[in-house]
Order: sequence, then structure tokens, then C-alpha cells
Amino acid sequence: MADVDSSVKEAVVEALALDDDEVTPESTLMDDLGAESIDLLDILFRIEKSTGVKIEASDLGDYMQGGIPDDEFSDDDQVISAKGAEQLHKVMPQTNPSDLEGKLNADEVMTLFTVQNLVDMVKTRGDGAGG
Amino acid sequence: MKLEGQVALVTGASRGIGRAIAEALAAEGAAVAVNYRSGKEKAEEVVAAIEGAGGRAVAVPGDVAEYDQAVAMVEQTVSELGGLHVLINNAGIADDALIYSMEPDAWLAIMRVNFGGVFNCTKAALSVFMLERHGTIVNISSVMGERGWTGESNYSASKGAVNAFTRCSAVEFARFGIRVNAVLPGFSPTDMVAGLMDKDGGKGILKQIPMKAFASVEEVASAAVFLAGPDSSAMTGSLVTVDGGVSTQVGIGKPL
Repeated sequence: MADVDSSVKEAVVEALALDDDEVTPESTLMDDLGAESIDLLDILFRIEKSTGVKIEASDLGDYMQGGIPDDEFSDDDQVISAKGAEQLHKVMPQTNPSDLEGKLNADEVMTLFTVQNLVDMVKTRGDGAGG
Repeated sequence: MKLEGQVALVTGASRGIGRAIAEALAAEGAAVAVNYRSGKEKAEEVVAAIEGAGGRAVAVPGDVAEYDQAVAMVEQTVSELGGLHVLINNAGIADDALIYSMEPDAWLAIMRVNFGGVFNCTKAALSVFMLERHGTIVNISSVMGERGWTGESNYSASKGAVNAFTRCSAVEFARFGIRVNAVLPGFSPTDMVAGLMDKDGGKGILKQIPMKAFASVEEVASAAVFLAGPDSSAMTGSLVTVDGGVSTQVGIGKPL
């Protein structure tokens, strides 16, 4: 497989028409870099072309939720539960569960997703596919 | 040849404009998947004609109104011809009637093929094009999508939808290197419009066309090949009329 770190960075830089130094591993894709849904789609197809790892846009949410049922991941008001916050910390180690539990809306999970988180996801998927 | 090494899928290619486009693409070097719904023998004739002229083609069955079949058509094209670079959404039907006497579901039947077919095949081909970051889509629409004609409300509405979809898909796909344009024929002598010619051999229509000639299927095809190929590389979202000028005038362009 092509070097995942550089492939992901290149995909983000090109899809969002940014300068190289504007994209760091810590940058959140949506908040910091301004990515919208079509940008994410573009990024994922660029990554698939360069690394062979296929990630559907709909996989992102599933990956972050880690198979936890909706009613355990968040409460009736869609606010993240303790279990949900624990899971999010696994896939986004930069997050602090106590900052998320009872505070973050499930719809906003994606706003925390960073370039490094995407790199980790691609690596995980690549291993799973034997790539 | 401008399409050497490329693979094209032409829907509704067993006759009429679709057949002319399939043969014109092949003449530019493209390998062509000749889609048909019911005209298997005619589609095989088109394949034989292309092969006879030294080209490559396969007949691909499928009803564009069904998404699953559109997916199967794209898969067969990729597996038998080795890829997909050009999609010509040509398959279409007409079922003219006055709105007053039209069956309530007659608009949907037309819409499912004429617009649904464009949507289904576009979506089915999209991931191939997006991964390659290259692809051209040409929707064979109609000037009826921009203007009105007695008895063609269902057909006209379906082509209006195709024109709007052409613009939206052009905008969405541009960043992926995919171009989408439409050809809008006026009156072209095919089986589909045979009814219009019944009255007086088409004379009454011919009089209304500034160029005093129907657009031949080959003339429609040459516009489609242009939009499918590298000569139109900066064009996307364009609706190109091939109609002898009929849709450009006010009324019949002169006093009666």
C-alpha cells in the first residue's frame, strides 16, 4: 500500500484546494478545513485511488459508533452517553470522554474527526482488507 | 480517432439515434456496449455492423427504468470491454396524448424511462468514473424539454427533468473530472416520432424548421460524439440543440 499518511494528506490538500502547510494531522476536516459532504466524498475517492482502500462516506459514522446501538450511543435527545464517549475516544484519541459525555450531540461527532483520525481509519481498513 | 482505447455504454442503442451514436463512437475508436431492452436481434445487428467495420462491441440487455438492471449493464460493460469512459443516456419512449385524456399514471411511465433511466445509469456508472477521475456523460434529451408541444406534456416534462439533471450533475461531478452535457434534437426521423410524420409526411413540421430539414440521426450522433470526446473538454452542463433552428425562433419566425 502507498504511504497512508502522505496519501491522506495529499487527498485532503487537493480536494479542498489548500496549501500543504494548511493541513496538519490535528486539523479537523470539517471545522478547521471547511470540508463539506461532497469534499469528503472527493477525499475518500482520492484515497481509494492512491491506496486501494475503499471507504464509503456512510462508513464514517459506523466506524465512529463502533457497532454500539443508537440507543446506547446517545440518549433520547441525541446527546452522547458515557459508553458513546468511551467509543469516540478509541477512534479519536485526542478527545476527552468527560468533555463529550452528556454534552456532544450525536450529529456533531463528525466535526471532531481529524486528518490523523482518517489516517488511522484507512490503516485499519487496509489491514482488514489484507492491503 | 478520438476515442481510441475508450469504452462507451449507449442505452437504447438497437435503433434510431442510439444506433447512430453507437456506430459513430465506434468509428472514433471506442469499444461500445450496445444496450437494448427488447430488441435483442436489432442490437446484435448493430454489434455486427460495428465489428464488420473493424470495431469492438457487445450487446448488453437491460431496462434503464430499473436501477438494478442499470447496475448490471455497467458491470457487464466493464467486465466484457475492460472499463467505462463514456455513458450515453439515450433510451427513451413517448406516449403522446392530450392531458385531458391522458391516463393518470401515463406521466410516470414516461418519467420512469426517460428521466429515471438517466438517473439510474448515471448513478450506476458514477463510482467507476469517480475512481478514474475521468468520464463523460451525454444525455440525449429533446428541445421539447425547453418548449411545449400539444400532446407531449409527459414527454416534455421528462425531458425538462433530464435538462435540469444535466445541469445539477455537471456541477456535482465537475471536481471528479466528469463532464455532463445534453443533446437536444428537434425533429429527427426515427420510429419514436413516426406518428408526427403521418399527417402529411412531415411537411407541416418541415415548414416550421428554419433550415427546412429534419436533423438526421447521424447529425444528432455527431453532436453526441463531440460532447463525449476530447474536443469538448471545457464543456459541461451544456444543452446543445440539434434542431435546424426550430427551437430558436419565435412562432414560426415569419407571418403565416
